[in-house]
Amino acid sequence: MVKLLKKLVFKLYVICLMLFTVWYGHFMYPLIFGFEGKEEAGESLKEIIRTGSEEETMFSRLIAEQTETSQTDLGYRVIDESYIEGRFHHIGFTLQHDNTNVCIRCHGSVPHDGSKETRSFLNQHAFYLACETCHSRPRAGAETWTFNWYDKVTGKITGNPRALVEIEEMFTHEHETEQYPTYGNYGVKIAPTQNDSGIRKLLHGEKEMALAERYIAEQELLEPDQKTAMKEVLHRKVSKDHPQCRECHNQEDRYLPFEKLGYPPTRLRELVNVPVVNMIQKYQKFHFPTLLESDEIEK
Amino acid sequence: MMLINSGDKTMSKYDPIVMKDGKRYFYRFSAHQRIQHVVLFSSVLVLAVTGFPLRHVEEAWARPLYDFMGGPEIAPMIHRIAGSVLLVLFVYHTIYWIVGFIRNDLGKLKQENRLTVGSGIKAFFTQEMVPNMKDFRDIIHLWKYLLYFTNRPPRHERMSWREKFDYFAPYWGIPILGPAGAILWWRDEVSHVLPGWILNAAYIMHTDEALLAILFLFFVHWYNVHYAPEKFPAAKVWLTGYLTEDEMIHEHYAHYVQVMIEAGLEDEIKPQHFGGEHYEW
Amino acid sequence: MREYRLFNSILVITAFVLVGAVFSVAEADTEVNCLICHKHRGLSRIDEQGKFRLYYINNEMFESGPHRRNKCHDCHSDKDRFPHDPTVKVDCTQQCHIVEPSGQAKFSHKPIADTLSKSVHGKFDADGNPKKYQEDYPGCKDCHDQPLYRPVSVYKGETKDGVSKRSIGRCRSCHRTGYFAEDFYDHVTSRLRRGRFPMETINVCAKCHQNQEFLKRHELDDAVTTYKETFHGKLIALGSERTADCLDCHVVEGENTHLIESKLVPTSATNKANIGNTCRNSDCHVNASAELSSFQVHVTYERDKYPMQFYMLIFFKALMAIILYFFLALIFFELLRRLFPKFSFIKEKKTSDDTDFEPLSDDADK
Repeated sequence: MVKLLKKLVFKLYVICLMLFTVWYGHFMYPLIFGFEGKEEAGESLKEIIRTGSEEETMFSRLIAEQTETSQTDLGYRVIDESYIEGRFHHIGFTLQHDNTNVCIRCHGSVPHDGSKETRSFLNQHAFYLACETCHSRPRAGAETWTFNWYDKVTGKITGNPRALVEIEEMFTHEHETEQYPTYGNYGVKIAPTQNDSGIRKLLHGEKEMALAERYIAEQELLEPDQKTAMKEVLHRKVSKDHPQCRECHNQEDRYLPFEKLGYPPTRLRELVNVPVVNMIQKYQKFHFPTLLESDEIEK
Repeated sequence: MMLINSGDKTMSKYDPIVMKDGKRYFYRFSAHQRIQHVVLFSSVLVLAVTGFPLRHVEEAWARPLYDFMGGPEIAPMIHRIAGSVLLVLFVYHTIYWIVGFIRNDLGKLKQENRLTVGSGIKAFFTQEMVPNMKDFRDIIHLWKYLLYFTNRPPRHERMSWREKFDYFAPYWGIPILGPAGAILWWRDEVSHVLPGWILNAAYIMHTDEALLAILFLFFVHWYNVHYAPEKFPAAKVWLTGYLTEDEMIHEHYAHYVQVMIEAGLEDEIKPQHFGGEHYEW
Repeated sequence: MREYRLFNSILVITAFVLVGAVFSVAEADTEVNCLICHKHRGLSRIDEQGKFRLYYINNEMFESGPHRRNKCHDCHSDKDRFPHDPTVKVDCTQQCHIVEPSGQAKFSHKPIADTLSKSVHGKFDADGNPKKYQEDYPGCKDCHDQPLYRPVSVYKGETKDGVSKRSIGRCRSCHRTGYFAEDFYDHVTSRLRRGRFPMETINVCAKCHQNQEFLKRHELDDAVTTYKETFHGKLIALGSERTADCLDCHVVEGENTHLIESKLVPTSATNKANIGNTCRNSDCHVNASAELSSFQVHVTYERDKYPMQFYMLIFFKALMAIILYFFLALIFFELLRRLFPKFSFIKEKKTSDDTDFEPLSDDADK
């Protein structure tokens, strides 16, 4: 019995070694013939870029482009940041993309491009608010929502971000730190959550993602009317009645419970007195004639 | 790689067969040779870890490994020291070989009063490390055996062709790597004697030959002494200087038979085998 | 700087008051006011070209460079209202409010632009005719992002990265007003070394000189990939700051770095007449002979251009492939042989002159 086992182990070892030999042959190949490989890679990229009309070229280039990072070494510190072509000013951080939100799967992470006055501000909010935070509303009579943070990478609900507290500390110990407080890139986002048989779950969670994936995978096979119907189903939770600036940015009754979400006092004061909102108010008759109107019209 | 020499064969310091715990062990390397091997492999490993991060800077491991070895300031110095050690070893071993040849092979001929130019040259080419026609036949024989055309594995003398290859690999490699490395090291001084493009040649020689050496070492040589089922996890001959009877039968059957006969143990000669399941581990 | 930041943060807290009180005119022209919006990291959109535009300004980064005393409006002079009008490109050659201290003129980057136009990177040739593919020739922003100081501290003979508080303290004993001491210190000590880490310089050149489309248009060799194959390039990739980057060889020692010339121009650093001295400059191969410069940096291994390298490479690659794959195959088949030790197509019998040979018996495997 032991003999048989030994024999088996031996044969297994020999087979593994044979596989290792084959792997080594494969591993060596680029090392030996390395220089040529690089040129081929460059060649294929050229192929992508050379195709077709301006739009096609633009498209191919956008597909070929990858999220690049750049490094600036100042000696006493190294700055890692996202590289954005044509940008002069340093951003000083790496953009974290949300790959778990179902809406972003189709609409992308910089979705607002409507009015010139609001698009950048709304995209800014998309950095730390899930789409459904504003684009969905609890149905009348349904269970009220609670708002939680979720991780941009894992999609799991997390506690309040430590980064917010750190910003507060920067304010209170201004003299001891070289850092300048900036907001938004916490690695987490605020989203409405519901109680699902004792467990807190995202309003747009795995179930919705699975549906969207299925739609994306099978849309080529669908009849046009089927497509419309399915889109209708997918967007069922989307509400036209989204919160206005001042529903959150006000002193009294706020749609988002900033305190519960971990905003420290200094930041809270900024949020409820948001200079931008106030500036908008002040400047309405000068250079901001339509900003608030655009909200009001939809109402 | 093996630093094997005919020199110590005739010395009586080591018994050809030693019995320990009822098992036979066969003499192979003297302490002198074993020490040379340790110096060789330590300097080669140091050269590899301080050189390859430079050759493959684009790999993820390159920067951390290079920083571990002291970074761009210290690592080149370590590399050069290890390279110098290796070159010194190369010269030392060559002298060691020549001295051994003169003292043993030629000395023996002189004792027997047969020393002529012809016999001297013949003695040189019949040293056990020098490749010969039997090695060529053994290679063919081995392939025949590996492809199942015979059930009879080749029988190697004290030095098989594989070991000779292992041995001459650094003997070919160091004369290429060493001078090329020295040219790159003393580039400014060399430029007074040689044109600058010699650095281009030295660069290719140094980096490509190093890659060959390392790829060979990490697979072929390490297979012979580490990965092979009967050796795993490691052969012990580089420490003890003695081969086990099984290793002897597997790798040097002709030599084994000769040693056994010389020791008067004809009756106890075991049949040949080719590694395989004969080893219980 | 720090006081400035504290001031800034107080302003942010009470900004809404200020917005109303201070800027009653519809103009946004101070640092604080711009940052009310531009401090938000996510302020962004996708433009009509499909490009991601981020409007975030990292004030901490901005304050780490020589532009820190400029106001936003100094460069972005068209931004006087919200929403902003379609952008006018920033003109780096415009005069700014700072008086250049060695003379009395207002500071401007125009001389740099003039030097650049004289170099191989200028848009016009020596006769003033526009070169082919005008749009490929670089402007300021193609090579420069916002510059940052890289100060060094020298104290008691030891050189370290960063600012020496002791040195600044000594400056401040006389130069008490404003930020003069800090600015002067950062500016001068940053100039004691390259403004950028060598790898960043190489990446800047690589934007064009490693771009295959570009190289084909201008019939150039891939200078960056080939450079990265040299020990210079490799050591820099491993973090060394002591070996030559692009500018060290392509700019004449002591000359403005923007004056990179074709090797065909007699004054060029890489011209046959000068290249020996370029290698032997006071910081590099001082002890070498001028012959060192016949070392070829940008080796493409093309048969016609670099025959020696080409054939050497072929030789070594062939040698490697033959030896390594021979042994790999040998080991593979040896392992295969061990799987079936008893099998053989031809079984050899024991012969009379072969007294010690016993064919592998079944027992041998047990």
